[in-house]
Amino acid sequence: MKRTDGEVLLLGTLPVVGVIWLSAFFLFPGFVHPMSPTMSAEEVAAFYRDPGNLPRIRYSMILFNWFAVGFIPILALIVLQIRRMAHRTPIFAYAIIACAAGGPTIFLMANLFWLLAAFRPMRDPQLTLMFNDLAWVTFSSQVGFLIAQSVILALAIYLDRQERPVFRPWVAHFNLVVAALLTPAAFVGAALTGPVAWDGLLTFWVRNVAIGLWIIVMAVVLGQAIRRQRAEDEAATT
Amino acid sequence: MSAPATGNVPEAPSGSLLRRVAWHWRHDEKRELWIGWWTLVVFYNLYGLLFFVITRTQPPPEPSLDPSEIARWFHDRHLGLLYGYALVFIVGGATAIMNATLAYSMRRMSVSRAFAYSYLVIYALATLPGMLIMGVACTVGAMRPDRDPELMRWLYDFAFLSFEGTMGVFLIGSLVWMLAILLDENGVFPKWFGYLNLCNALTEVVVAPAWIFKSGPFAWNGVIAWWINMGVFVTYTIAFLTLLRRMILREDFGTGPLPDLSTAPASTPSGSLKAAR
Repeated sequence: MKRTDGEVLLLGTLPVVGVIWLSAFFLFPGFVHPMSPTMSAEEVAAFYRDPGNLPRIRYSMILFNWFAVGFIPILALIVLQIRRMAHRTPIFAYAIIACAAGGPTIFLMANLFWLLAAFRPMRDPQLTLMFNDLAWVTFSSQVGFLIAQSVILALAIYLDRQERPVFRPWVAHFNLVVAALLTPAAFVGAALTGPVAWDGLLTFWVRNVAIGLWIIVMAVVLGQAIRRQRAEDEAATT
Repeated sequence: MSAPATGNVPEAPSGSLLRRVAWHWRHDEKRELWIGWWTLVVFYNLYGLLFFVITRTQPPPEPSLDPSEIARWFHDRHLGLLYGYALVFIVGGATAIMNATLAYSMRRMSVSRAFAYSYLVIYALATLPGMLIMGVACTVGAMRPDRDPELMRWLYDFAFLSFEGTMGVFLIGSLVWMLAILLDENGVFPKWFGYLNLCNALTEVVVAPAWIFKSGPFAWNGVIAWWINMGVFVTYTIAFLTLLRRMILREDFGTGPLPDLSTAPASTPSGSLKAAR
């Protein structure tokens, strides 16, 4: 008996959303070679005024505005898997729901600041610089909900004590490593150059690659868990 | 849902802290609740330390400073703001497990689950005006000391008004908790704490004039808008941490009234209880 409850469909949206995110990432001219925080107000204003950049800034951020929340259904699927774990309370599931509400809201704030800077690029360069700072600092520093998500998921997995746990222990270890890799980005304001600056190795590259890797790994193990759950349910009904 | 069968469980050891924590991690049926409670305790202590000592953004400065004074305010706190708020950003997500634990208190009451879910979502959003927007504004203000002081003033207003002037999440959140406690027949929290929620909600009403006044008792640093507010909030927080601890000690993972502290099992290393789902 095949169940058509839509879970597989929701999971199937992830590759599509992922491709859109990746396209938006490469479309935004400030990401491929991340903008330096040492750029002067005039240079930042020129970046937004450049007719080659402006449409790409707007279109990429509109894409992010549409699809940034596209990850929430996947987090909801993770919540459902946590509910299958051998816990005594729904606290971990609740906590992931809270992270799912908080994280994307923060990303949308960064998105708004970028779009505002691009809306009237002719305004005083000092204002464009400030909007650009607000966008980059929000985008880079707001790792809290992502860290919490990984740590809570790891705790939930460690405390899932049953014959066949929903996720294997390595998934928990992996989540803790990801949480650690995201941490340095919180210090983005402390340096305009070097590894923690918003264009730096730790804050930009390590953090974004860690987020990408997390999405891919979690999608795979989530898919496996859902498939196993279905097989078990089918076996139980026949 | 099968609860983990723990079988014959050794007595809780009285050895080192690490050994005791390890025992609870392995055997205590209430470990999920205790993780939530300890996160709350550690977080609120850290919150006080970060806001009052490291960033020195509380108690708040005057709204009426002129732009050059505001630029100096940022300059004086340069490292505190940049490193202090970095720590706030790292631990900020811990609010998720804290709010989940508080939502669980409503889940354990005889009321509809709508209360727990409303509280969870409202307080998930409250993290932004409650600290994260302020952190971003202060970080951006501190990171470029040569920024135009007029724009520094905009960031300063953004920081303090987002923090104090976003009231609805705390207002409605407290009222949801109050209603749940007053309607509850399981005795999860005493009724007086329900009314203390009302006090906390009312502080969000009296803070509204901070959007209008730039000095005096109603300004964002005023006696009414800040000091009374903070006094109530600290009392409220201490009260719910204490009561939540008692709730966890009394928890029997049933659905009826919570047993009294004297009759409740202290730590319940038993695998036979029905999971509370």
